[in-house]
Amino acid sequence: PAASLSTPSSPDALPAAAASPRAPPARASRRVASPGPATARAAPMGRGGARDGAAAAPPWHSLPDEVLEHAFSFLPAAADRGAAAAVCHGWLGAERRSRRRLAVANCYAAAPRDAVDRFPSVRAAEVKGKPHFADFGLVPPAWGAEAAPWVAAAADGWPLLEELSFKRMVVTDECLEMIASSFRNFQVLRLVSCEGFSTAGLAAITEGCRNLRELDLQENYIEDCSSHWLSYFPESFTSLETLNFSCLEGEVNFAVLERLVSRCRNLKTLKLNNAIPLDKVASLLRKAPQLVELGTGKFSAEYHSDLFAKLEAAFAGCKSLRRLSGAWDAVPDYLPAFYCVCEGLTSLNLSYATVRGPELIKFISRCKNLQQLWVMDLIEDHGLAVVAGSCSKLQELRVFPSDPFGAGQVLLTERGLVDVSASCPMLESVLYFCGQMTNEALITIAKNRPNFTCFRLCILEPRTPDYVTRESLDAGFSAIVESCKGLRRLSVSGLLTDLVFKSIGANGNCLEMLSIAFAGNSDLGLHYILSGCKTLKKLEIRDCPFGNKPLLANAAKLETMRSLWMSSCSLTLGACRQLAEKMPRLTVEIMNDPGRTCPVESLPDDSPVETLYVYRTIAGPRSDTPDYVQIV
Amino acid sequence: MELELELGLAPPNHAGSCGKRGTKEAFGIDKAGLPLILRDDDGDHGSNCSDARDWEMSNKKKRLVGWPPVKSAHRPRSNGGHVKVKMEGVPIGRKVDLSRHASYHQLHHTLRLMFPSSTSHHGDPYAVTYEEGDGDWMLVGDVPWEDTVMSAKRLKILLV
Repeated sequence: PAASLSTPSSPDALPAAAASPRAPPARASRRVASPGPATARAAPMGRGGARDGAAAAPPWHSLPDEVLEHAFSFLPAAADRGAAAAVCHGWLGAERRSRRRLAVANCYAAAPRDAVDRFPSVRAAEVKGKPHFADFGLVPPAWGAEAAPWVAAAADGWPLLEELSFKRMVVTDECLEMIASSFRNFQVLRLVSCEGFSTAGLAAITEGCRNLRELDLQENYIEDCSSHWLSYFPESFTSLETLNFSCLEGEVNFAVLERLVSRCRNLKTLKLNNAIPLDKVASLLRKAPQLVELGTGKFSAEYHSDLFAKLEAAFAGCKSLRRLSGAWDAVPDYLPAFYCVCEGLTSLNLSYATVRGPELIKFISRCKNLQQLWVMDLIEDHGLAVVAGSCSKLQELRVFPSDPFGAGQVLLTERGLVDVSASCPMLESVLYFCGQMTNEALITIAKNRPNFTCFRLCILEPRTPDYVTRESLDAGFSAIVESCKGLRRLSVSGLLTDLVFKSIGANGNCLEMLSIAFAGNSDLGLHYILSGCKTLKKLEIRDCPFGNKPLLANAAKLETMRSLWMSSCSLTLGACRQLAEKMPRLTVEIMNDPGRTCPVESLPDDSPVETLYVYRTIAGPRSDTPDYVQIV
Repeated sequence: MELELELGLAPPNHAGSCGKRGTKEAFGIDKAGLPLILRDDDGDHGSNCSDARDWEMSNKKKRLVGWPPVKSAHRPRSNGGHVKVKMEGVPIGRKVDLSRHASYHQLHHTLRLMFPSSTSHHGDPYAVTYEEGDGDWMLVGDVPWEDTVMSAKRLKILLV
C-alpha cells in the first residue's frame, strides 16, 4: 500500500503547508519534546510535566516526533496518513518526514523536487503519467510524462530509495543509467506501459543494481539493441526474486538465463518472453521448482510426446506454483501437462492465448481454487458456464475480444457473464467484452452480485441497444449502480440515454473511476455525473454529446477530482478559457489535430475542442507540452 | 445521404430521450443498417447500383481510433507485427512493429524518429508505401489503419 501525494480536499485546513509544498527540509525542523508554537495556547497549565504517582500521560500535542512517527507507521493506507497529516502542523511534519511510500497518481499534479522535499524519507515511489486513454492510442506521441525529472529529483533527494515504479511514462536509457548509479540499495524497478528505453538501459540496471530483487517489465515498448542485458548480472548476483521480461521482443541468451535462474534461489516470479521455446521452459522449471508465478511466453510447438513428458515432469516438481500466464498459441494437446498445477492455481492469465476448445475448458475446470481469470472470448458462453460451475472462489474475471474489429460471429453473449455472476459468490471485479447484452441480464447480474467493486462492460459495437427489446440499456446499468453499493469503478457501453447518468450520479456513492463512450443525449448526462458521484476521482469520456454548460456549472467539482478527459464531445474553446480562468488550480489542456499548430490564442471562442484534459495541480502549468497541446 | 432509413432498429422509447440529436449521432457513424436500395447479385445496374455502392462505402464500418478499448498488446497480430522499413536513398533498413501503433500518426512519428532527415533531404515531402499480400505497393492511409496493420508485409518510404 502506498501513500499518496494528494491535494487535500479541504485546502483551508492547513493553508500554509498545503499551498507551499516547499516545506523546510527535514533536518532543519526536527522537533523533540516541546509543543510547537501553534499549540502553545492549548497547553493546559498546572499539570506541567510533573510525574506524580498517577503518571499523567503526556498531552497529545507534546508527543515527541518519534512517537508520532511510530504511531503513523501503523497507517499503511495513504488516505489515513493524509488524514493524520491534516490534523495539525505537528502531525503534518511528523507524518511527512516519516512517510516511506509515495504514490503520485498524476506526474503533473506536483513538481518532482517539491515531492522529494516534502517527503524526504521515501523508500518506494510510484509515478503515473499519461491519461488512461493513451493505452488505446488516443494520445499522440511525444505528449509528455517524462520520467527524467522524477529520476533526477529522486537521485538528489532520496539516496536511500529502494523501489521505483513508473506507469505510462517515457523512461529513457539515461533514466535507467541514473537509477543504476544513484541509489546504492536499489531493489525494485517496475515499468508498466512505458516507452523510450532499450535493452541498453536494461543492461545498466542489471549491471549497476547489486541488490536488485525485482525487475518487472509489463507491457512496455522496449527497443531491442541486442545488448546482452541479462549477461550483465554479475555471476555473484543472487538476490533476484522477480524477473518479468514478457514484453521484450528480442532474443535472450538462454544459457545466461538458466545460470541466473539456477543461482537465484529466492526467485519467485519468472515471466518469459516469446523467444523462449517450450523445451527450454521445461528445463528452467527444473532449475526453479520454487516458483510461485510463471509466465511461459510463447507456448506453441508441434506435439511431441517426449516434450510433453518433459513438461509434465517439470510442472510436477512445482509445488508452489500459484500464478500462470503466457502467450499460448498452444497446441491443446500440451495442456494436460499442466494438470498437476491446476489445483494450486489462484491466478490464470490466458488473455494472450489463442488456445480454445474443449481442452481449454477442461483445463480451467480443474482450477478449483482460481481467484483471478483473464481469458479471451474464445472460451465462449459454454466455457464460462463451466467456469461458473468449477471456480467457486473466483473474484476477478476479464474476458478480452479475440477479434475486436472483425464482423465475425458473436462468440460471447450476456449468458456467460450471467452464469458466472450467479455461481461465483466472491466475484467482485469484471471486465467483459461481448457482442450483445440485455437489460434483463444486467438486472439479474446486479441482483446476484451486489458485491461488485469494479464493473466494466464493453459491448463491441457502439450504441448497441438491448438486442431483445431494442431499448436502451439504461435500466440494466441503473440496476448495477443501485445494487452494488461498493462500486468503485464502472465502464458503460451500448445504447444509453441521459437517464442512466442520473442513476449513476445518484447511486454511485463510492465510485472513483467512470468511463463513458458513445452515450447520452445532452448536457444533462454530464451534469448528472458531475453534480453527483461524491467520490469521483477520474472521469474519462469520448464521443458523447456533452457540451460546455455542465462543465462550467460544475467547475468546482473538478478540483475534487484527479482528472477529467473529454474527447470528441461538444466543447468549445470559450468554455475551456472560462474554466481555466475560474479555476486557477486546474490545468486545462487542449489537444488538437496534430497537423494543425496555429496558436490557441488566435482562435475564436466558438472553435471546437477535440480533446480536453483537465487535472488539478499544485505545480502550475507544465512546460513540456508538444506543439499539439495547448494549455489554456 | 442524409436520411438513412433502417429496418429493424427502433429508436429508444424512453420519454426523456428526445434530446437534440442529429441523424449522425442518433444512428451512429458505423451503424450497419440495410440499404434502401437493394442490389442484385449480378453487378452493374447503372446509377442505382453505384448509389448503393457509394452508400455502402460510406456506411462501411469505419474504424474508430481507440475502439474497442483494448491495448495494442491485446490486438491480434500477423507476422509478429514487425515489418521491414526502407527509405529511398538510405542503405540501412529498420524494423517497425505496426501492431504497437494505434494510428497512422503514431507510425509517421516513429518513422520520423527512425529516419531523421539527413541534410540533403530535410523538409522534403515523402510518401509511406506498403507492400500487400499480392505484391502490390499501396499508399499508407487509404484504408483504415487496422486493415493496413493486417495486410502490410513491408514498408518503403519514397521521396515525392
